[in-house]
Amino acid sequence: MGRELTFADSKIIEVVNKNFVPVAMDDWFQRRRQDAEGEFFRKVADQGPRKGQGGGTRQGIYAFTADGKLLQFRNSQDPDVMLAFLQSALKAWGNLNAAERKAAKAFVPDLQKIDPRYVPSLSKGTLVVNVHARILEKENDFYCHGTCKFPGGNRASHDHLWIREPEWQAMLPMDPKVGHEIVIPENLIYRITRFHLIDNTRGEPPMWARNDVRKASLKLNVESVMANEVKLKLLGGILLSTESDSKNSKRGYDAIVQGVISYDPIKRTISKFNIVVIGDHWGEGSYTGGARPGRSPLGIAFELADPAKPADRVPPQAIREFSGYFDAVR
Amino acid sequence: MRSKFLSLFGLFLAFSITNGVDSIKPDQFEKLHSLIKPNAGEDKYMQIPWMIDLWEARKKAASEDRPILLWEMDGHPLGCV
Repeated sequence: MGRELTFADSKIIEVVNKNFVPVAMDDWFQRRRQDAEGEFFRKVADQGPRKGQGGGTRQGIYAFTADGKLLQFRNSQDPDVMLAFLQSALKAWGNLNAAERKAAKAFVPDLQKIDPRYVPSLSKGTLVVNVHARILEKENDFYCHGTCKFPGGNRASHDHLWIREPEWQAMLPMDPKVGHEIVIPENLIYRITRFHLIDNTRGEPPMWARNDVRKASLKLNVESVMANEVKLKLLGGILLSTESDSKNSKRGYDAIVQGVISYDPIKRTISKFNIVVIGDHWGEGSYTGGARPGRSPLGIAFELADPAKPADRVPPQAIREFSGYFDAVR
Repeated sequence: MRSKFLSLFGLFLAFSITNGVDSIKPDQFEKLHSLIKPNAGEDKYMQIPWMIDLWEARKKAASEDRPILLWEMDGHPLGCV
């Protein structure tokens, strides 16, 4: 909702861009990491009301100096409240005494050591794919954007699929022939189905358990071969259901999958990774209430990300357990 | 051969009956892909140049003499929340 309400407000955008160094972080990692950055964050947060008692969340919006002096904290989605928060933070910034201002400008050395348990990082060659889900409605033999009562629930969600280099290289035939079928790594099929075919349009949804994957029939074939481009066609269907009886299950997704993957056979680089998953979704999670009643169309689109953009380097939501994410078949 | 036929038939039946969508017409694939993705202007919050590394934000703030604004959520604010 912060996206929809607070940081979509033009006045807030203007104030932030003019005055602050903006940074967005996942509290789940930040409050756990045992390194200088984790300690720094907790030192800042502990000056406010959220001290993470019992390992609890410290989420909210913080304004502070580079040396860690908290200027303001709020946890509100209301643009008027947040605008007042920003102005109050800037006032506190302006009221810093000379010694505090000097400390705020002090040189910050490189971070020497990170806690790898809570800092998911892209390994060399990892393919990053943007994944967006959106609620849809049927209209004139096609689809249009869906509507729902949940604020922002009609917007496209954001997540990223990470595919390690050996996995995506294995899907690019060395000697491609039209019609040739390519084996998709099983781990990748389960990673996509369990962690990326989710309804995350209203926040953090539950992921699919291994046994929820009732069907995942995906076929990848060489469609065309040219000197500088080989096109692969993906076709298939999935059935995800929390109970074996999908007609009566609490939560599920029954959808078809189509896609085009293109690569340069000489450079062995992927230039296109466009996939559409479309079908009926039903149910909601503990933290994603407000789903539309019954079964309704949910579309999911995949396309290559641009890792040069910070937002495209945000780790997949499901990577909180590294081994679970990359070894999804288990 | 019979089992292969049955399995293909079963797959076809599952597609036809359970989700009401059997395929995406070739001329509709890109249209549907675009319909699902964020619209131009939909993600106004991205007009703010969010960094995703707190330590690097500290360095930048110190060198530019500016305060830091941290958007901290349980789930990445620029990701799946």
